[in-house]
Amino acid sequence: MPLDTSTYSLALLRLDGRRWNELRNIHAQISTQAAADGSSYLEMGNTKVLCTVTGPAEGRQSGQRGGKDNEAKVEVEIGFAGFSGLERRKRKNDKRTSEMQHTLETAYSSLLLTHLYPHSTITLNIHILSQDGSLLAACINAATLALIDAGIPMTDYLVACTAASSATSAESDNSDPLLDLNNLEEQELSFLTVGTLGRSDRVSVLIMETRVRMERVEGMLAVGIDGCKRMREILDRVVKEYGQRFS
Amino acid sequence: MAPNQPQQVTLSPAELSFLRSTLVQSPPIRFDHTKGPKDFRSMRAEYDVLPGANGSARIALEDGTEALVGVKAEVEKSQRRPSPDARGNTLSVAAGDAEMRDTDAENHGKGKGQNSWIETSVEIPGFRDDDPLPVFLASMLTESLLASGELKDRLYINSRFHWKLYIDILLLSPPLSYPLALLSMTTHLALLTSRLPALKSEKDEDPLFDDDWDAAVFLYPKNEGKSLFGAAEDKPPVIVLAMAVGPNIIFDPCMEELAVADAVLAVACANATSSSTRARIVSIRTIDPPSHLTPPGVPNSMNSATGGTVPASSADALTQRELLATSGVWTPPRGGMKRALISQVVKIVVEEGGVAEEVISALQAIELG
Repeated sequence: MPLDTSTYSLALLRLDGRRWNELRNIHAQISTQAAADGSSYLEMGNTKVLCTVTGPAEGRQSGQRGGKDNEAKVEVEIGFAGFSGLERRKRKNDKRTSEMQHTLETAYSSLLLTHLYPHSTITLNIHILSQDGSLLAACINAATLALIDAGIPMTDYLVACTAASSATSAESDNSDPLLDLNNLEEQELSFLTVGTLGRSDRVSVLIMETRVRMERVEGMLAVGIDGCKRMREILDRVVKEYGQRFS
Repeated sequence: MAPNQPQQVTLSPAELSFLRSTLVQSPPIRFDHTKGPKDFRSMRAEYDVLPGANGSARIALEDGTEALVGVKAEVEKSQRRPSPDARGNTLSVAAGDAEMRDTDAENHGKGKGQNSWIETSVEIPGFRDDDPLPVFLASMLTESLLASGELKDRLYINSRFHWKLYIDILLLSPPLSYPLALLSMTTHLALLTSRLPALKSEKDEDPLFDDDWDAAVFLYPKNEGKSLFGAAEDKPPVIVLAMAVGPNIIFDPCMEELAVADAVLAVACANATSSSTRARIVSIRTIDPPSHLTPPGVPNSMNSATGGTVPASSADALTQRELLATSGVWTPPRGGMKRALISQVVKIVVEEGGVAEEVISALQAIELG
């Protein structure tokens, strides 16, 4: 069902009442599970994700235990809970899930200092409990928190955000880029997911599956990267608050 | 018999023997020595954690195992089945309309529920969907839910439509101890707090629901005022694990305790709605304890390194081991559970102030407080 987002141009307010550059309510917890090496729980609006880290540990398969060149292997498993969507659906390993897994695997194998753990595997288990847009971004943020909790060294936070272009018609020029989309907006607008390394502007993950006019991409990227910086502050606060408990 | 847990316990025969000898003492000293034989592990529980589910709950035990359950209900078209009492119904309508309406309100959907209206799935990280452990856990949980019978009748809307209840159970941590009790308690809490939209349409119309979530009715109706009549409200069943070691019975065993169990029972109990006792047993199953797979210890008399003689044949070894049964050298337990112990377990679970009542009221208290 196409959704009418044309009301945005009237009040400059989005469907859920946010302005163009506002993030949704973000709540994060770190070290939620005692049995895991690292764990985190992240809510971005109604998207809720739980991540647990096992490792660095000896891999499960008997064959190749670690990654190539004496580096640790990063494995990601994403599970969609049956109740996560609007309608109850069992998701078997489809292409979208495996692409998300692959994205996280490649992003984290370059970010983590994997050469410190030769012949070992770091397994990330991500449970998606409730989905309402920005799924990949939520997975990346939750995984970063869980890896920090597990104490696996990395150079900086990998944080992600989504950004979209508000204009649906090609000719309208006064289009605001929108930050942090929910499910309805994702269905309607063309959007991208951008992940950056901490405070820097270095983009580490960039995925876009929809079409958009060339000149709008720059604005979307700028807003997305700006959102990532704010996201980093939020996650950093979560980690520091958790650390204060032990000081 | 349900399959044993996949994770092998890494305890040596000497450790197993020590653990067992403390557990068979009277009173038993448990692995966590602060606990008595009927004490459960402490837990953190919360409910209504998911915005998109009819009911949800999350329970984390003190050993780090954690489960999350989401209950989702969908309206489904019932398959038309010729029912033998359909003719009788129309006749009685002709006889007395007012009378009929009364009984209809009372017996709405009574006996019309079908087992297929409840679907349970268990997901355990690191396991495939069709691995024996999740499949058995799911079937045991469904079995206990269906056994009491009232739940499926409540999913009846009218002769053409019914609710289909999907219970998705997620174990968020690796299965450290046999997770059945944890999953069952989480499911209990989720079902207790599940709500279905209130029905606005009547009789056999296409179902139309009240879109006000505040008007939704609980799947397990609460009757605060009616408790005077003695008819306790119906609650979902809950499964408790009981384990036998020698003459002792220990409830809610942890992973290490399971490794020395003689036998393990999964007892599903629900609170009684009519009888004089406070709880009733819905189903009992034995679970193959991991202790059956533990390696036996080698006694000094059979070990050439300590001055013994290695038995010549395997038959010889067997007879020597039989004689050693009470010597304290670890031998994996064999056989099942004594009948007297089973009746003792049942008694402890069902009696007034027993384990069943305690667990059910504790889970109820989470919701109230």
